Amino acid sequence: MLNASSLRKTLGFLLVLGIWQSLASLGAINPFLLPPPTKLVTAAYELLADGSLFRHVGASLERVVVGFLLAALCGLVLGVVLGSSRMVTDLIGPLVESLRPIPPIAWTPIAILWFGVGNAPSYFLVFIGAIFPVFVNTFAAVRNIDRAQINAALCLGAGPSLLVRDILIPAALPIIFPGLKIALGIGWMCVVAAELIAAQSGLGYMIQQNRVLLQTQNVVVGMVTIGIIGYAMSGAMSAVERRLIPWSQAVR
Amino acid sequence: MTSQLVIEGVAQQFPARGAGAPVQALDGIDLEVQSGEFVSLLGPSGCGKSTLLNIIAGFQHPTRGRVLHEGAEVTRPDRRRTVVFQDYALFPWKTVQQNIEFGLKAQGMPAAKRRAVAREFITLVRLTGFEDRYPHEVSGGMKQRAAIARALAPNPDILLMDEPFGALDAQTRVLLQEEVARISAETKKTVVFVTHSIEEAVFLGDRVVVMSARPGRIRSSFPVALDRPRTPAVRRDPTFVSLVEDLWESLKPEWQDGSAR
Repeated sequence: MLNASSLRKTLGFLLVLGIWQSLASLGAINPFLLPPPTKLVTAAYELLADGSLFRHVGASLERVVVGFLLAALCGLVLGVVLGSSRMVTDLIGPLVESLRPIPPIAWTPIAILWFGVGNAPSYFLVFIGAIFPVFVNTFAAVRNIDRAQINAALCLGAGPSLLVRDILIPAALPIIFPGLKIALGIGWMCVVAAELIAAQSGLGYMIQQNRVLLQTQNVVVGMVTIGIIGYAMSGAMSAVERRLIPWSQAVR
Repeated sequence: MTSQLVIEGVAQQFPARGAGAPVQALDGIDLEVQSGEFVSLLGPSGCGKSTLLNIIAGFQHPTRGRVLHEGAEVTRPDRRRTVVFQDYALFPWKTVQQNIEFGLKAQGMPAAKRRAVAREFITLVRLTGFEDRYPHEVSGGMKQRAAIARALAPNPDILLMDEPFGALDAQTRVLLQEEVARISAETKKTVVFVTHSIEEAVFLGDRVVVMSARPGRIRSSFPVALDRPRTPAVRRDPTFVSLVEDLWESLKPEWQDGSAR
C-alpha cells in the first residue's frame, strides 16, 4: 500500500519530466525560455563540480536557520505572554494583527535601508516571515489549554515546575509544532526572495545573477534546488514531529 | 465526632453576561460528610452540583461560606481530595501507567516505587495488559478506569467524582457502577459522587442528597438502607426499587419543568 503510493508519487514526477522533454525535442518549447530536463542535468552537474551550488545552498541555509531560530524564540515568547494575559493582548494585539498582513517581500526596501546588503537583511526578512505562524499557533495553544487537565494535575499535587514540564508543554506542542513547520517553509521562501535583491550569495542571488547572464538553465537549476530543499525540510520537520509528539494525531 | 468534610453556607454567584442579571449558581449549601461515607449528589443539569464539587476540590472559591476538610479551610486543590472528571481529563501524552503514576511523581516518589504502586491500582481497576497504551488507544470505559486509578493512587482522603459515567454508553455505565461499588468498598474512601441519574445515585450512595436548580440548593437527603458492597442483585431489592420510585415521583415536577425550558 505504501509502496503503491510512493510509486505513484515517482510516476507523477517522471510523467511531467517526460512530457517536458518530448515537447522540447519536438521544438514546441523555446529552449532559451525553458531549457529541457537534459540540459538542466548538465547545468546542475557543472554547478556541482565547481562547488558554486554548494556555496550558494550553504549561504541560504545559514540565513534561513538564523532567521528561523530568532523568529521561533520571539514568536514563542510573544505567544505565551499574549496568550496568558488579557491586558497585554489588548495592548499589543491590534499592532501584531496589523503587521501580519504585510507580505515579507514588502519589507525588503526598508530591510536594505536599515541593514545594507549582506546577511542581515536576509535574517530580518526570514524573521518577519516566520514569526507570525509561530506566534499565532503558540497563542492558540496557550488559549486552548484544557482547564480540566490543569485541574487534574493540581488536585494530584503537581507543583509549578511539574505542571509546566509534564502538562503545559506537552499540551501545547501538538499545536505549536505545526506553526514551526509552516514558519520554516515561509522562512525558506523569504530567504530566496531576500537574496534576489539584498545579498551577494545564496540561491536567490545565483538565480538573479544567471538571469542577467542569460544562463536560463542555471536559473531553473536554482529554482529546482529551492523546491527540493523545501520539500526535504518539510519532510524532516514531519519526521521530527512524529518522533517528538507521537500522540499528536490523537489530539488533533 | 466531627465530620471529615463540612460545607458551611456556601453560595456561588457568577457575574452577569452582558445585560443579564448575575447568576446565582449555589445558595446556602450546608452539608456534612463522614469519613468513609459515600454521598451521591443528585440533581437536574444546571443545578450547580458540579460547581459545588469544584468548590470542594478547591478549583474555585465560593462567593460566601466555606468548606472544611478535617477542620481546615479548603483554599486550593491538594492531593487529599482528588477528582474523577466526566471527560476523564487524562493526559493524552502519557500512557495509562504514566497517567496513574502522575500523583506519585508529584510527591517525589522514586520511579521504581511508583511503578509498583501504580501496578496495584492497575490491578484494582482491572486494566492489567493496557499499562503501556495511550488514552486514545483504549475505550471510554477503560479511560475512566484509568482516571479512577489515577485519582486513587496518591491515597486521598476523599474521592470527588463529577458525573464520571456521563459520557459512557448504558452497558459500560452499569458495569462501571458495579466496579465503583466494589472499589469504594475495598478502599473505604470517602466519596462525593455527582450524578443526574437516580438509579446510579441510589445504587452507589449511603446517602442521596438531592439538589434543586436556580439557585442550586439542597432540597432533601435520603439515607439508603442497603448493605455494602452493592452488587447487581441490589437493583432488584424492594428497598432499592421503592427509593428510586419515591425519588422519581418527588423530582418529576421540577425535572419536567427543567426539560421544558
